[in-house]
Amino acid sequence: MENKPTSSPTSFVDQSVVPGDVVLDLSNMTNQTLKLGGGLRQDCDAISVMKAGKLRFSNPNKYWVESSQKRYVPHAGDSVLGIVVDSKADNFLVDIKGPGLAFLPVLAFEGGTRRNIPKFEIGTLLYVRVVKANPGMNPELSCTDASGKAAEFGQLKDGYMFESSTGLSRMLLSSPTCPVLDALGKKLSFETAVGLNGRVWVNASSPSTVIVVANAIMNSESLSGVQQRIMVEKLIQNLKLST
Amino acid sequence: MEIDRLDGRKANQLRPLACSRNILNRAHGSASWTQGDTKVLVAVYGPKAGTKKNENPEKACIEVIWKPKSGQIGKSEREYEMIVKRTLQSICILNINPNTTTSVIVQVINDDGALLPCAINAACAALVDAGIPLKHLAVAICCCLADSGYIILDPTKLEEQSMKAYAYLVFPNSILSVRPEGSLKVQGEPMEHGVITSGTQGAMSVDDYLNCLERGRAATAKMSTVLRRNLQPQIASDLSFGDAISRRDLSGMISQREFYGVILRLDLASASSTA
Repeated sequence: MENKPTSSPTSFVDQSVVPGDVVLDLSNMTNQTLKLGGGLRQDCDAISVMKAGKLRFSNPNKYWVESSQKRYVPHAGDSVLGIVVDSKADNFLVDIKGPGLAFLPVLAFEGGTRRNIPKFEIGTLLYVRVVKANPGMNPELSCTDASGKAAEFGQLKDGYMFESSTGLSRMLLSSPTCPVLDALGKKLSFETAVGLNGRVWVNASSPSTVIVVANAIMNSESLSGVQQRIMVEKLIQNLKLST
Repeated sequence: MEIDRLDGRKANQLRPLACSRNILNRAHGSASWTQGDTKVLVAVYGPKAGTKKNENPEKACIEVIWKPKSGQIGKSEREYEMIVKRTLQSICILNINPNTTTSVIVQVINDDGALLPCAINAACAALVDAGIPLKHLAVAICCCLADSGYIILDPTKLEEQSMKAYAYLVFPNSILSVRPEGSLKVQGEPMEHGVITSGTQGAMSVDDYLNCLERGRAATAKMSTVLRRNLQPQIASDLSFGDAISRRDLSGMISQREFYGVILRLDLASASSTA
């Protein structure tokens, strides 16, 4: 049985890689700047893989490993759904499914002053933006966008929140609109908030709509676009039959 | 001089391997590894904030809990926990998430020989499933030494108990590389030639031990390919973003994981019979 390949492959882009694979050799790539995304690390002269997944490349110089997990690795600029765990004098402590709790300053709201600090109870669901995510430190959040406006961030009232994987969240947020949301939106009216940390919130006027939307999203993870549309049609038919 | 094994295998032949990922809904990563009748299920939770008192807060901490199939938890479970913890610590990248704890819970479902290697393989697959950053994978194997000096691989419990000595060995997996000389070098030797963990029971000579190392390393090449194939993301054909792992069995759809398990068994049996 041949163990050693006769010639090593030139590139692993768009292929599955496991931890330990060496995907780039820097010794013949001098004077280039590379941007390494998640899942890759530099080990002297080689770039090797840390997480199992598919290696992706985007022009001109970005490499990353695409994988789907149940936990989240905080990055600055992401919009996530957090749950308030505690409140201190200066910060709310918010759980965003990452390695540590995140801090949400009490003044990080549009028009926030010491006099109108919002009162969030423990367990409140918030749609927030990650401002800073430095390694080794707790991430910092904000309920405003980069220019200081509220922009839909803040507390999510009513509705239903469920957990998903980070891969499913990315698929729901992709553009053009992902097939399952497209098919659901044509027949039902609902609103959703998708956090990149693997949490999805759905709200609609009737509970049966909320349940159908939530089930459709949860089941769509491993289906192709066509299969997603077929599944949504079947679910909506069942909904119409029962009402 | 052939040795007759009770189940008809040759000396170098491994038992059928099966591995499944993402089987537990609540765990952040989970995997089960089956070698013949030995089956181990591992769940990984983490990383979570905070470390224990005696651990270095500048590094990530791994804690292992070993649950035997039956009976009370005693000193042998503590020993297994320590061995698995040290092995996993050497493959994880510990300075990425400082001051966090990752919990690895090992549940023995059935023990029919080669229990510790099976647990280490399952723990490695579960860590990958949870997305914990690793330097490379670990593949573990058990080699037994018979009275006649003959070495057999992957013993069952009866074989283990009747042999003169046995050794369990953990090697780094064989990696794919764009570089012609392959893997990264540690002190002049390729990393693949290293040994992560080695434990022995019984008395054996140095030559016998080196023989075990050689045979074990050759066999882990096959296990490496099995592990690699199983850790591939399961993705729908026309979606190019994210990798979709089937979390729930839709009614009427055959679970993808069972299917993978059957294919692996046939592959390995045919591969090892030609070796």
